[in-house]
Amino acid sequence: MIATLFLLAFMQIKVPDAAQFVGAPQGTPLTGPQLERRTMEISSELRCPVCQGLAIGDSPSIMAANMKAQVRELLERGYTEAQILSYFEKSYGQFVLLKPKFQGVNALVWILPILALAAGFLLVVTKAKKLETAPVKAATAEEEPADDPYLARVREMVDKP
Amino acid sequence: MNKTVLIIGVVIVAVIVFVLFGGLGKDPQHIDSPLIGKPAPPFALKAVGTGETIDLESLRGKPVIVNFWATWCVPCYEEHPTLVANARNLPNVQFVGVVFNDTEDKILRFLAERGAAYPTLIDANGKTAIAYGVGGVPETYFINPAGKIVAKFEGPLSTELLEENLAKAMK
Amino acid sequence: MTPILGRFIILASVLVATTGAFIAYAAGAKRSPEGLRWSQRFAYAFAALMVAATGVMEYALITHDFSVQYVAHVGSTQVPLWVTIVSLWSSLEGSILFWGFILGIYIAVTTWVNRNDHQEYMPFAIGTWLSCGAFFSFLIAGPANPFLTVANPPLDGPGPNPLLQNHLLMIIHPPMLYLGYVGMTIPFGFAIAALLRGRLGQSFLRPLRASLLLPWVFLTIAIMLGGWWAYEVLGWGGYWAWDPVENASLLPWLTATAALHSAIVMERRGVLKGWTVTLIQASFLLTILGTFMTRSGVFNSVHSFTQSSIGPTILVFLAAVLLFSVALLSFRIDSLEAEGQLDSAVSREGMFLVNNLFFVVLTFTVLIGTCFPLVVEAVKGKQMSVGRPYFDAMVVPIGTALLFLLGVGPALPWGKASRKEMQRALLPPFITGAVVLIAGYALAVRNPWTLLTLLFGGYAAHVTLAQMWLPLRQRMKRGDSFGPALIDTQLRRGRRRFGGYVVHAGAVIVFVAIAVSSTMRTQQEVTLTRGQSTTFAGYTVTFTGTEERAEPHRQSTIARFNITKDGKPVTTMEPRMNQYATMREPIGTPAVHSTITRDYYISIMNLQGDQAGVLIINMPMVGWIWGAVLMMGVGGLIALIPMRRRTYVVVPERAPEIDSEVVA
Repeated sequence: MIATLFLLAFMQIKVPDAAQFVGAPQGTPLTGPQLERRTMEISSELRCPVCQGLAIGDSPSIMAANMKAQVRELLERGYTEAQILSYFEKSYGQFVLLKPKFQGVNALVWILPILALAAGFLLVVTKAKKLETAPVKAATAEEEPADDPYLARVREMVDKP
Repeated sequence: MNKTVLIIGVVIVAVIVFVLFGGLGKDPQHIDSPLIGKPAPPFALKAVGTGETIDLESLRGKPVIVNFWATWCVPCYEEHPTLVANARNLPNVQFVGVVFNDTEDKILRFLAERGAAYPTLIDANGKTAIAYGVGGVPETYFINPAGKIVAKFEGPLSTELLEENLAKAMK
Repeated sequence: MTPILGRFIILASVLVATTGAFIAYAAGAKRSPEGLRWSQRFAYAFAALMVAATGVMEYALITHDFSVQYVAHVGSTQVPLWVTIVSLWSSLEGSILFWGFILGIYIAVTTWVNRNDHQEYMPFAIGTWLSCGAFFSFLIAGPANPFLTVANPPLDGPGPNPLLQNHLLMIIHPPMLYLGYVGMTIPFGFAIAALLRGRLGQSFLRPLRASLLLPWVFLTIAIMLGGWWAYEVLGWGGYWAWDPVENASLLPWLTATAALHSAIVMERRGVLKGWTVTLIQASFLLTILGTFMTRSGVFNSVHSFTQSSIGPTILVFLAAVLLFSVALLSFRIDSLEAEGQLDSAVSREGMFLVNNLFFVVLTFTVLIGTCFPLVVEAVKGKQMSVGRPYFDAMVVPIGTALLFLLGVGPALPWGKASRKEMQRALLPPFITGAVVLIAGYALAVRNPWTLLTLLFGGYAAHVTLAQMWLPLRQRMKRGDSFGPALIDTQLRRGRRRFGGYVVHAGAVIVFVAIAVSSTMRTQQEVTLTRGQSTTFAGYTVTFTGTEERAEPHRQSTIARFNITKDGKPVTTMEPRMNQYATMREPIGTPAVHSTITRDYYISIMNLQGDQAGVLIINMPMVGWIWGAVLMMGVGGLIALIPMRRRTYVVVPERAPEIDSEVVA
C-alpha cells in the first residue's frame, strides 16, 4: 500500500479519490474480521450497475469486484458508511443504493406499508366489532330446490305429513 | 351498490394502469449518469507503450472523448475500428482510452492488431472507472472544452451516435 | 404444413372460446340446462384444441421442423432430447402456448368434475374461464404467434437460452409455476359466478375451496423450486433476491393463502363472503400482473423474456379485467349476505382476521417495493432502486408476526372462551417455545429476530402437534387403540384438518430454517494456489487444479477442490466459471455439498492461471427449507382428497307413486 503510493507519487499519477467527493474520513479505520464484516454489510447495500438487481457483494462482474475492493479500502482508511454510500451515489446516481434513502418522495416507500398496517388494523377492529353484533340470519335452505330436481322431490316427500 | 368498494377499486385500477403504462417503452437497463453537467473527475494515468503520464486537466480547450474498454470485452472489439477511424478524422477532438483489470501485454497486442490512433491509459484497479460511474464496458464519456461532462454513452458506439453526442460537447 | 395446421387450430380455439363464453353467460342468465350442456361442450372443445396445438408444436420441435418460426428461434439439433422438449416453455411465444395448454386442461377437468352439480353457477364460471381462454388464444394467434412460417428455413437453430440448459430443475419449475399461476383462473371463475348469481351458498364452498387449494399447492412448490434453482445455479449463495419476477410469483401466493384462511371463517360462520371473493379475484389479477411484469420488459429482472410488443396487450387485458371485477364487486358484494356472526373477536375466528391483515399488508408492501422505482421514474424522471435491504427490513417483522399468529391462532378455541380456557390454551406452549429459544441460544444464535423466531416457532410447533393430537386423544378415550384411531382421525375423517396442520408444521420449519440459514451464515473469501488448502467451518478445502471444457454454447473452466474433515476425505467439489457466447459477463456455477445440518457452498470469484479466488459459504439448515416446503405441499394435497359423498336415500312408503322422471 505504502509502496504503491510512493510509486504513484513518483510517477505523478493521479487517480480520482473519494476525498474529492466526500472529504476526509470521519470515522475510525477498521481492520481484521470487523473490516470483512463491514465490507460485506455495505456491499450488500450497493447495487451492481450491470446486473439485474444484484448487490456488488453477490455479483461476479468485474466492476462489482472493483467496487467491493474500493469499499474495503475506504473502510480501512476510516470512512463511515454514510460517506461511502454518498461517494458511490455521486458517481452512479441514486440507482446504486439498494436501500432507498428516507428523503423526499422516496420516504413514501417506507411510510406507506406502515400506514397500510395501521389503517388495516383499524379496519379489522371495526369489522370484528360489526361482526360481533351482526344479526344472525336464520339458517336458510342451502340451495334453491331448482338446483337438484331429485333432492327437491325427496324434500317434498319428506315434508309431506 | 357499494360506493366504497367502487371508489377504492377505481383508484387502485387507475394507479396501477398509470404506473405500468408509464413504464412501457423505457429500457430497464439504461442508467442515467449523475455526472452529466458536472466537471469531469480529474485523473492522470500512464499510457501504454509510451509510458508517459497524461493528465485530463492538460486537455482542456478541446472536446475530449474518454472511452472505457478492456481486452476481455467482446463488444469493444466491434467498437474499436469506429473509434480509430473517427479519431483520425477529427484532429480537433482528443480521444483517450482507459483500460482497467487488464495487462499491458494484452493491450499492446490488441492495439497492434487493430490499430491505435490515440493514447490508451491504464487504470489499474478501476478506481477511475468507479469515480466516473462506469458499470461495464464499453462506456464513453463526452467532455466539453471547459472540462464538463456533457454526455455518457453505454455500449459500443457507431459513427452516428458518436457525432450526435460529440455535438453536445461542441456547443 | 405444420405451421399452417398450428395456426388453423389456434384460430379455431379463439373462435370456440369466444363463442363458448357468450353461450355460457347467456345460459347462466337464462338458467338454461340445455345452454349449460352446450357450454360444457365448448369448454371441452377449447381444451382439445389447446392440447392439439401444443401437440403440433412439440412434434415440430422434436422433428426439428425449422419452417416453424418458434422452432427456428429455440430449436437445435445439438441439444439433448429433454432440452428440446422443455424448450416449449423456454421462450415467450411457446410459453404463452403452454399457458393456454394448462388453462385448457384445468377448464376441461373442472367442468367435468362439476358436470352434474351447481348448475346455477357453472355457466357463469365456464363463461369466465372461456373468456380468459379467448384472450390467451388471441395472444397466441396474434402478437405471440409461434406458428408463423419461416420463408427460408435454416438448417439448424441456436437452441434455447443457455442458462436454461444448465439444470434439471428447468424441467419442473416452469410447469409447476404455470400449474399454480394458471390454476388461479378457476377459482376466479367460481368467484365471478357467485357474484353474478348474487349468492354464495354453503355447498358451493367445496368446489371454490378445492379449486383454490390445488393451484396453491403447485405455486408453493414452484416458488420453492425457483429459489432452489437460483441457489444451485446462479452462484451468489442465496435463494431469494426480491427480484421483480420472483415477487410476481409471491404476490398471488400471499393473497391465495389469505383467501384459504378467510374461506374457513366463511364456512364456519357464514361471514366474510365478499372479502374472500375479493381475495380470490386479487389472486387471479396478480397472476395477470405477474405475467405482464415478466413479459413486458418494464422491469429489470433476471427472468425477463426479451422485450416484445405483447406488454401493452396484456396491460389492456389486465385493466379490463380489473375494471370488470371492481364493477361487479360494487354491484353485487352486498348481496352476498352474511349468514352469521362472530361470538368474540378474541377467538380463533378473530385471529383469522388478523392473519388476513398481515398477509394483505405483506402483499401491499412487496407490490409497492417492486413498483416504486417505476412510479418515481414516471413522476420525477429520476432512477432509484428498491432492493433486498428494503424488503428484508419490511418482511422480517411481518413474517415474524405471522409465525406468532401461527401459534396463537390455532391455540385459541372457536367462539367465545372464558379467561381460564384461554390461559389453559395459550400458556403451556410457551414452555416449548422457551426450550427451543434456550437451545438456539446455546447453539450460538444471537440475532434478535432469529431468537424471536425460535421462540414463536417452538410455540407454534407445540400448538400444531397438540391440535393434531386432540381428535386422536378423544378417540382413544372412547376406547379405540392408537393405530386405528390415528388413521381414522387424521387420514379418514379429519383429512382437511390434518392436512392443514401438516402445512402449518411445514411452515414453522420453513420460518425457522430461513431465519437460521440467513443469520447464522458464515463465509470466507480466499485465494488459493494449486495444492494450497484452507480450513473453514469444519472442512479443509484443497485446490487441486482446473480443467477447461469447451461446449457448443459455452466455454467452462472447472476448478477442483478436495474436501476433507479431520483428515478423512468427504467429497470433491467442482464449481465452474462459464462464459456463454451470448452473454456479456461470465456466469459462475457453484458447487454445493448438502448435509442435514448445513450446506457447504463454493463459488468461484476469479481464476487466474494457478490461482483460484473463491467464496466459501457455510449455511446451516438450508436443506430443511426445500423439504419443509415440500411438506407444505403434501399437507395441501392431503386436505384436497375429497371425502366420500354421503347420499341419503329416502324410500317413501307409497313406492309406486315415485315419479319415474325424477328417479332416473
